[in-house]
Amino acid sequence: MNTQAHTCTGLHEIAAQVRAGASTASSRVEACLARISDRGTALHAFNEVHADEARAAATRIDASIKRGENPGALAGVILAIKDNIATTQGHTTCSSRFLENYRSPFDASVIQRLQSQGAILIGKTNLDEFAMGSSTENSAFGATRNPWDQTRVPGGSSGGSAAAVSAGFCDAALGSDTGGSIRQPASLCGCVGFKPTYGRISRYGLVAFGSSLDQIGPFAKDVRGCAELFEAMAGRDTLDSTTVDLPVPDCCTQLDEPLRGLRIGVPREYRTDANAPSVARALDEAIAAYKSMGATIVDVELPLTDVGISTYYVIAPAEASSNLARFDGIRYGHRATLEAGEGLEDLYAKSRSQGFGPEVQRRIMLGTYVLSSGYYDAYYNRALQVRRRIREEFDHAFTKCDVLLGPTSPIPAFEIGGKKDPWAMYLCDVYTVNTNIAGIPGISLNTSYAQEGNSTLPIGMQLQGPAFSEALLLRAARMLERTMPPSYPA
Amino acid sequence: MSATHATAKILRTELKVGLEIHIELATRSKMFTRAPNPAHPDFYDCAPNSLVDPVVMALPGSLPVMNLIAVEMSMQVGMALGCEIASFSKWDRKNYFYPDLPKAYQISQYDLPLCINGSVEIPVSAGGSRSIGIIRAHLEEDTGKLSHELPGGVAYAGSLVDLNRAGTPLLEVVTAPDFDCADDVVTFGQELRNICRFLGVTGGIMQRGHMRFEPNVNVLLTLEDGSVVKTPIVEIKNLNSFKAVKGAIEFETKRQVEEWRATGRVMGKGMKITRGWDDLKGQTFVQREKEDAHDYRYFPDPDLVPVVVDDAWRARVRATLPELPMARRARYREQFRLSEVDARVLTDDADFCAFYESCVAATTAKGCFKAITDAGYATGKMLLNAGSKRANERNCMVQELGIDANQVADVLALREDGTVGPQAADLLFGFLCDTKDNAATVAEQQGLVQVRDESALEAWCDQAIAANPQPAADVRAGKVAAIGRLVGAVMKLSAGKAEAQSVNDMLRKRLS
Repeated sequence: MNTQAHTCTGLHEIAAQVRAGASTASSRVEACLARISDRGTALHAFNEVHADEARAAATRIDASIKRGENPGALAGVILAIKDNIATTQGHTTCSSRFLENYRSPFDASVIQRLQSQGAILIGKTNLDEFAMGSSTENSAFGATRNPWDQTRVPGGSSGGSAAAVSAGFCDAALGSDTGGSIRQPASLCGCVGFKPTYGRISRYGLVAFGSSLDQIGPFAKDVRGCAELFEAMAGRDTLDSTTVDLPVPDCCTQLDEPLRGLRIGVPREYRTDANAPSVARALDEAIAAYKSMGATIVDVELPLTDVGISTYYVIAPAEASSNLARFDGIRYGHRATLEAGEGLEDLYAKSRSQGFGPEVQRRIMLGTYVLSSGYYDAYYNRALQVRRRIREEFDHAFTKCDVLLGPTSPIPAFEIGGKKDPWAMYLCDVYTVNTNIAGIPGISLNTSYAQEGNSTLPIGMQLQGPAFSEALLLRAARMLERTMPPSYPA
Repeated sequence: MSATHATAKILRTELKVGLEIHIELATRSKMFTRAPNPAHPDFYDCAPNSLVDPVVMALPGSLPVMNLIAVEMSMQVGMALGCEIASFSKWDRKNYFYPDLPKAYQISQYDLPLCINGSVEIPVSAGGSRSIGIIRAHLEEDTGKLSHELPGGVAYAGSLVDLNRAGTPLLEVVTAPDFDCADDVVTFGQELRNICRFLGVTGGIMQRGHMRFEPNVNVLLTLEDGSVVKTPIVEIKNLNSFKAVKGAIEFETKRQVEEWRATGRVMGKGMKITRGWDDLKGQTFVQREKEDAHDYRYFPDPDLVPVVVDDAWRARVRATLPELPMARRARYREQFRLSEVDARVLTDDADFCAFYESCVAATTAKGCFKAITDAGYATGKMLLNAGSKRANERNCMVQELGIDANQVADVLALREDGTVGPQAADLLFGFLCDTKDNAATVAEQQGLVQVRDESALEAWCDQAIAANPQPAADVRAGKVAAIGRLVGAVMKLSAGKAEAQSVNDMLRKRLS
């Protein structure tokens, strides 16, 4: 694989050049579209490319600059949007047959915020149906392929966004992360993926999967890009009651300044036999890199790491079973044709059976079961208790260290069709689900590569920090990024 | 026991009723979104599906945001019902599929309601009063409506969904099973409606479904061997008139005894039955047999944050409570010396009561009564007599007659200073219903000003005596009571303008 070293200058720099006339939004859109037409079909990162809309938006931005106006800090920055985030531009399908023809009459709050700063949307990216999966194979419209090796998955569920960024189809992208759906594909595709603290970024317009876990976050080619998009999107939104009313931290000004006396916690539970040798080595390299920068490495324990998946697969499906009940075929989306003698119950059952794929149906059944009378205490209530314990465990760990370091995924990108057993697939998220369960921020960045046969596969490291510690977390990530600069497929 | 159900002698039949009341709150926007609320007067009778937005439609990605006004209105009702306002309450999802429920779950409050443990004192038909326990009052959202008619009443073969009502704030009040007759349930329902109308939290228009009643009814039968059997509890859904409430409970009382006679079925777990009410037939009918047919899978709604109420907030809301009907009745009795019946009529309707209060204020401001007691009493009597009479004639409420508070006060002032007599005052009240003109001017125009001119009085008296020889003779013979007929005749001749005492005096002088 021919790769190209990436200079970590972020997105504001791109916008500065566009505003200064060194580049134009239109030429940037054309360059992206050319790259998409070159290799987009093979990768299937997009469900829909919005060439006309992107060109029109670019023309407006260039004209506004010509008039001497300032279209914003993201002027001419080209974004791809995960197709479970509502946009009035194009469709919002969640990669589901059920919403194949659905158009949202409103934009998600994050879309409004980004567009108001001059960002251009180039298209909607593929995902596991309703964000349920870790490989993007669960899309009703076909799997996305990894730009580093097209026989492999990009990770998921935000696989389309991760692939689009790594393949150079856009400057950055949005994803959503319920149990690792931003960080794991970022790791597998070799880009940077950031899940902020729960409540930092409005979920209004994000099609709900597990509402208490879901969080929108950015993908970018560098930590700075993620920091800039985070700042652009974060902050209280009156349309989402769960957003917190805290000032958005300045993450960018001091991003490049290394932290002194940084304490890096490495949980024992993150060094298991489940880690591929290449991943274990990458972790050692990252530890060594931090040591060389003067950080202290702290041994910490997170004994509940391995119950995270079980806890997650009670809470997330429970919420999903309720969140997805609105897809009943009555007001919008797929409506089954009824045979003579069939009634309302049949309409529900047939529309949903035809509209939802197998993984979505599995999780709806799981969630319905754990909430049903007689099982609620044994499953849902117990999962909530474990959730509190997991939070406390993180709180305790963060008394000993500033951030936690570990692999994002125990393995690099696997082959398409390589994980047939749902449980094996669920284990891909063993290091990422607890971040969502605790509601804390986590970031994945590429630090190393695995050589598997002829393939070079990126390996990502994950950093997690206490709630609302985004500024610190991003700075710690930037330190690691400087010692191990990223490169992308040429 | 079941062996004897067909034949056992019933010594005593005791009705037991608990009530659930759904109250649509008249906020401007819906419970969890900005879309207009059809229970607010500005949005009555809007075209189907015109009061919707992405949240109401449950479009993908939409999120609910709590309506603070609805919460405060509910706190007001809770306080008026003597409830504690919980420091911590939360929102739960009640999951079920139905086309009128767009999200396929209703946001409600399951185990931690906003208001708990209250009570209301009502006069009961057995005499005296009784305290009715309020178990809880919680806030939720209303559903949409299904119909099989197009606007204008044209029949339609399929089902039509109107989501205007979906998301309207709904306060559900649950009483203890403290009622033992249908009339008391109705009294309570009317009192609750009245309280809510005084608070201004609902239009309270029954025909619009602003208040819907669901009585839980069963009967306790004492048998001759001293044992007591309880019939299965029946929940009667969605009654939206007091007539239906009374009819349904009375029907159930009989039906349940008959059913026990026939089947011997008694109360037990999972035995609760849901029945509807057929207004035309005057009968209840089975809607759902077993209560545990539904598993609603309640769980806390992760899209909303809990409602945390501190003392400062409670105090702020409490300070907004108006004087409630019960307290007003007591005050009208004590301060204005009005009778219980008069006080009740004056407090039966929030708008009428407000009009009365404004009339008392205007009358007091005129200074024609020495004490506020007299002003309150005289104003009340005028509205209840002159006012009610005309309201009946015109089929409207007293406050809708057209006469304003200032005009009412002027009529009373003119009567008190003797400008018009009592009969003329009544007529003047009537004229003022149709004009904004000053009361004194109208009295002048209509010739209602009392005549004290001796010669005019003498002429009318002589005419009356001449026309009524028998009563005149009676008075002369010492039967003083007969003078009433003659006074009446003078009043008629003078069209009410003669002053009654002067007429009386003059007639006596002439017949002595």
